[in-house]
Amino acid sequence: MKEKVEERQPMKLRFNKTVAAIASSALLVMAVPAIGVASSSGAAVKHRLPTYVIGYEGPLSGGNLQLGLNMVFAVELAINQNNANAHRQFNLKLARYDDQGDPTISPTEAQAAVANKHLIAIVGPAFSGATAAAEPYYSKADVATVSPSATNPSLATKGWHNFFRVVADDSVQGPADANYLVKTKGFKSLYVVNDGSAYGAGLAQAVATQAQSDGAKVTTATVPGTGQCNNGTASATEYQAAATQVVASGASAMFYGGYYCDLGLFLGALSSSGYSGVVMSGDGSDSPALIQGTTPASAANGVLLSCACSASTNKAFNRGYENLANFSAATATYAPESYDATNTIIAGMKALLAQHKKITRSNLVAELHKITYKGITKVVHFQKNGNISGSAIYVNKVENGKIVQLGLE
Amino acid sequence: MGSFGHYLATHFDTLKAEFWFLFVGGVANGLLYAMVAVGYTLVYGVLRLINFAHSEIFMSGGFAGYFVLRAMVGATVPTGFTSVLIIVLGIAAAGTAGAAAATLVERVAYRPLRRRRAPQLAYLISAIGASYFLFNLAGKEFGHLSVSDPQPYVNHTVFTIFGAPVLMYDLIILVVSVIMFIALDWLVGRTRLGRGIRSVAQDAETASLMGVNIDRTIAITFIVGGALGGVAGFLYGLNIGVVYNMGFVPALKAFTAAVLGGIGNLRGAVVGGLLLGIVENLCVVFVQAAYIDVVAFGILVLVLLVRPTGILGERLGRTA
Amino acid sequence: MIRSFLERAPIRRLLVIVGVVAVIELITGPPGSNQYPTSGFTGSYAEAASFFGLFRTQRWVVFLALALVAWGIVELWTRYGATIRSRSSSALAGPRQVSEKRPVRVGFALALLVLGILLPHIVNNAFWQSALVTYVAIYVLLAIGLNVVVGFAGLLDLGYVAFYAIGAYTTAWVTGALPTPPPFGHALDAFWAIPFAVVFVVIAGVLLGAPTLRLRGDYLAIVTLGFGEIITIFANNLYGITGGSTGTQQIPHPVFHVGPIKYSWGLAPVPYYYLALGSVVLFLVIFSLLQRSRVGRAWTAIREDEVAAESLGINPLKFKVMAFAVGAASAGFAGVITASADNFLFPSSFTLTFSINILVLVILGGMGSISGVVVGAIIIQVIQAYLNHTPPSGYQQPDLYIYVGALLITMMIFRPAGLIPSRQRRREISLYEESHEGHPDEVLLGDDV
Repeated sequence: MKEKVEERQPMKLRFNKTVAAIASSALLVMAVPAIGVASSSGAAVKHRLPTYVIGYEGPLSGGNLQLGLNMVFAVELAINQNNANAHRQFNLKLARYDDQGDPTISPTEAQAAVANKHLIAIVGPAFSGATAAAEPYYSKADVATVSPSATNPSLATKGWHNFFRVVADDSVQGPADANYLVKTKGFKSLYVVNDGSAYGAGLAQAVATQAQSDGAKVTTATVPGTGQCNNGTASATEYQAAATQVVASGASAMFYGGYYCDLGLFLGALSSSGYSGVVMSGDGSDSPALIQGTTPASAANGVLLSCACSASTNKAFNRGYENLANFSAATATYAPESYDATNTIIAGMKALLAQHKKITRSNLVAELHKITYKGITKVVHFQKNGNISGSAIYVNKVENGKIVQLGLE
Repeated sequence: MGSFGHYLATHFDTLKAEFWFLFVGGVANGLLYAMVAVGYTLVYGVLRLINFAHSEIFMSGGFAGYFVLRAMVGATVPTGFTSVLIIVLGIAAAGTAGAAAATLVERVAYRPLRRRRAPQLAYLISAIGASYFLFNLAGKEFGHLSVSDPQPYVNHTVFTIFGAPVLMYDLIILVVSVIMFIALDWLVGRTRLGRGIRSVAQDAETASLMGVNIDRTIAITFIVGGALGGVAGFLYGLNIGVVYNMGFVPALKAFTAAVLGGIGNLRGAVVGGLLLGIVENLCVVFVQAAYIDVVAFGILVLVLLVRPTGILGERLGRTA
Repeated sequence: MIRSFLERAPIRRLLVIVGVVAVIELITGPPGSNQYPTSGFTGSYAEAASFFGLFRTQRWVVFLALALVAWGIVELWTRYGATIRSRSSSALAGPRQVSEKRPVRVGFALALLVLGILLPHIVNNAFWQSALVTYVAIYVLLAIGLNVVVGFAGLLDLGYVAFYAIGAYTTAWVTGALPTPPPFGHALDAFWAIPFAVVFVVIAGVLLGAPTLRLRGDYLAIVTLGFGEIITIFANNLYGITGGSTGTQQIPHPVFHVGPIKYSWGLAPVPYYYLALGSVVLFLVIFSLLQRSRVGRAWTAIREDEVAAESLGINPLKFKVMAFAVGAASAGFAGVITASADNFLFPSSFTLTFSINILVLVILGGMGSISGVVVGAIIIQVIQAYLNHTPPSGYQQPDLYIYVGALLITMMIFRPAGLIPSRQRRREISLYEESHEGHPDEVLLGDDV
C-alpha cells in the first residue's frame, strides 16, 4: 500500500497567479525536502536515527480544503523543524489522510492510518463528525489523536483514552459568547440562529441557554445551510425572508451558529433588510472567506467572530509558515493550534526518550496525559478526558474587510 | 384544537405585519424562478423532455457575469450611467454564456441520442451526466468556495410599498425580467421563428412536412431558453454570489414552477414562478425555514397528482 | 473550399478527437481557484508532462500527440473494424455458446463466489479490507436493488438514497440509539432491525410509488428526487425523533445469538464484509429468480410498451409499485449493515449525489443485467476507493463526478445497454431503434406519445 507522502505536490498551485509563480513554488516544494535530506544524511554518519510517522487527518480536498491546508502546512512546518535540528533524536515523516471532513470517509482513512506501522500519532481529525466516526479505530490501536479544531463537547465524553484536543470545546465557547453579548456588551434581546448542522445547532443551543440564564430575551430559529454552500441543500433565496424575521423580532443582537459561507449570504440579506443590530458568530465563520462571500463585502464589517483559536503573534512561526504555505499565517485559522498539536506530540516523544522509555503508541498516549508543553498559543496541558485545561476564547471583529483580533472574551 | 387556533391567530398577526416585506422579496425570487422556468418549458415544448442540465446553464451565466463584474468594477461602487453600462454588459455576457452552454448540451448530450432515436430514459441519464460534468468541472476550475459578485450599483431603497422597501436589486430584476418576457412573448407569438417553434411543439411531423427545419428549430429553442437561464444566473449571482453548484437548487425550484404553471406553457411558467416565490417567502411565518423546501416539493407533488397539466395547462403550441 | 475540406469524414473525426482530448486535458489538469480562475486552464495546457517517457514538453503538445495517435487508431478501425469484428465474433461464437450454457454459467458464478469469500485474505491490507465493505460490498447491494427499479421496470428513481436512510435509521431505532424509544420498550440487537427495515422500506416504497408511479418518467424522476430531499430534511430537523443533525453515534455492533452459536461483530471490517457478501448473494438469487418469473416478464413488458402491456391484462401500476418496493428492500438491508458497522449515523450522508452514484453503477454495468451491474459497481467503486486514498497530482475528490458525468453521456451515446448488457435488453434497444426510423414525430418525442 502506498501512503500519501509529502513529496506529493501540495495543492498550493491554486494560489498562484502566473506560470512564473507556479515555477517558484515548485522550487520551494523541492527545496523543503532537500533541506531535510541534506541534514539527515549528515546525521546518518553519526548514527542511524529512527524515523516515525506523524499523520494528519482532515479535509485535503473539496469545499473545506482551505481549512485542511491551513493545518497541514503547520504540521509540516513543525516536522521540518524537528528534522532540521542537529540535536534531534529521531526523524519524522508526515502522512496525509484526506477525510474531506466527511464522517463516512474518515473511518476508512483511520483504518489505513492505524495500519501504518511507523505511524505514532495523528494530528486531527479536523472535524467533529469525522472525529466521532474515526476515534473508535484510533482508540483500539492506541494511536494518540491531538485535534487542533474538533470542538464538539460530546467527543470528550466517550471514554476514548487516546483523544486530546488543544482548543476549548463548544460548551466553553457558546456560554462565553453569550456572556460576552449579554454581560459585556449589554444586549438584552438576542436572536439565535443555527444552520441545522451538528456543529451550528450545538453551538447555538449553548449560546441560547446561557443567554437566557443571563436574563436576556432569546428567540431561536433554524435556517438551514444552503446548496450554495457546502453544508446544506436549502435555497439561498431563503435568507431574505429569514432576515425579515430577524428585523421584525426587534432583537438588538443576532448570534449565528454555522459556517462562513451561509453567514455571508445571511449578512447580505440582513443589510438589505435594514438590520442595524450586531451580528456574532463562532469559529465556523472565522475565516477570510466570510468576507469574500458576502454581498456587498461591506455588509461583513462589524461582525464579531469568536474562536477558541488565536491568531499567531509568533514572528518565527509566521515567517516559517509563509515560506512553506505561500500564504499568510495571520489568516490561517487553526494553523497555530496545529503547530502546537504537532509540537506537543514531538515533546511527548522526547519526554519518553528522556525517561528511557520506548517510543510506542501506547507509551505516547500515557505520556500525553501527563505533559505540560508551552506552545505558541497557550500552555498545553490536558484534562483527564482529553480536553485542554483552561478555556481561552478569543473574540475577533471584521474591520474594513479584515478580521482583527480584539482579545480574550 | 384551541392551541392550533391560537397558533394560526398569532401567525396571521405576524403575517399581517410582515406581509409586504415578504411579498417584495417573494416577487423578486419568483421572477428569477420564472426566467429559469421558461427555459425548461421551451425545451419541453419542442422535445418533450426535461432538460436536467438547465441548472448548469444558469451557473454558466452566473460565472460569465461574475467575470465581467470582476473586470469592470473597481474599488469604488459605480453609480449612474456606469452602473447601467456594467449591468448591461454583464447581462449580455451571461446571456451569451447561457446560450453557448445550452447549445453545447444540446449538441453533445441530446443530438446524438435523437439521431439514434433513443428511448426517453437515455435522454434523462445523458442530461444528468451533462449536468454533473459541467458543474464539477466549474468546481475544479473556479474552486469550490462561494464568492460574491463585486457590486456594480448601490443597493439603496428606491421606493416603498406599504412600508416595505423596494431595493435597487429588486427593481433591476423586475425591469430585466419584464423586458425579457415581453421580448419572448413577441418572439414566440409573432415572428416566423416563433411559428416554427410552435409548429414543432404542436406536431413535429407535420411541421417537418411543411418545411420547418427541425434541427435548427430545436437549436434555436435551446439558445433562447439558455440565454434567459444565463441572465437569470447573473441576476441571482448579483445578490448571492457564484459557486460551482449554484444552479442546482434554483433550477429545481424553477422546474417546480414550470410544472405548477403547466409545463410547455410560457405564460404558465411566469405565473408558476411568481406564485412559488411568493408562497415560499410567506410560509416562513408559519413553518421553520428548514421546512421551506418540504413545502415547495409538497406543492409539486400535489400539483402533479391533482392537476398534472398545471394551472394554465400544457402545450406550448396551443396557448402561447 | 475550406468548408468542404472540413466536412470530409476523416477530418471531422480528427477535429472531434482533438476537441475531446482538449477537454480531457482540462479535466486531468491542475485545479484553479476563484482568485485565479485562469490558472487551471493555463496549467492544464502549459504545464510540463511527458509522452510515455519518450519526450517531455508542455501538456498541450503531449496531448496533441495522443490525439493524433487516437485518430490513427480510429481511422484504422473505420477501415478494418468491420472485418476485425466479424472475424472476432465468429472466433468467439464457440466460446460464447459454451458460456451461455447453464451449468457453465452456474459454475462460473460459484467460482466468483469462492473468489469473493477468499478476497479479504488475498488483499491483506487494512485500507482495502475496510474499503471492500464501505466502498464495494454495500454499493453492490444498493446497485442490484436500484437495478430492479431502473433496469427491470425502467423507472428512473433519483430518491433511492431515502430507502437506504430508512434502513439505517431503523437500525438506530431498533437498537435504542435514537431519542425515539425502541419497539416494545427495550433495545434489540441490530439483526432485529432487518425485518423492521424491510417492512418500513417496502411501506415507504408503496406509499411513494402508488401515487407517483402514474406519472411520466421525467416527472417521476423529479418527484423521487424531492422525496429523497424531504426524508433528509426531516431526518436533519426532527431532533426529538431522529436526533437531528447530530444523528447518533451509539448504534451497537450486531451480535448473532441463536442457541449455542454466538458471534459478535466488532470494529474489524472483514466480518462485515461477509455479512454484506451474504446479503448480496441472497438478493442476487432473489432478483434473478424474480427476473425469470411472471413478475419479471411483466416488468419487461411494461418497460417496453406500457400500453401494450396493459392491453394484455397486466396492471402496470401494480407491477411498478412492486418493483419500487422490491428494489427498496436491498437498500434497506444496506442501510442496516452500514449503520451497525459504522456505529454512527449522520443525516448529511444521505444526499442526492449518493442516489446518482448508485445510478451510475447501474448504468455502467448495464441496466437490467444483474451480472453487468455487479461488475460495473465493483469496477467504479474500486477506482473510487483508489483515487480517494492515493490521489494522483492535481486530482481532488470532487473531480470524480466530472468523470462520472462524462461517463454517463458517453455510455448513453455509444453503449446505452451498458458494459455487459443483458441479452434481452440489447435486443430491445436495437429493435426499438430500428422500429423508430423515419418518423420525425417520434424522433422527437421518445417513447411517451
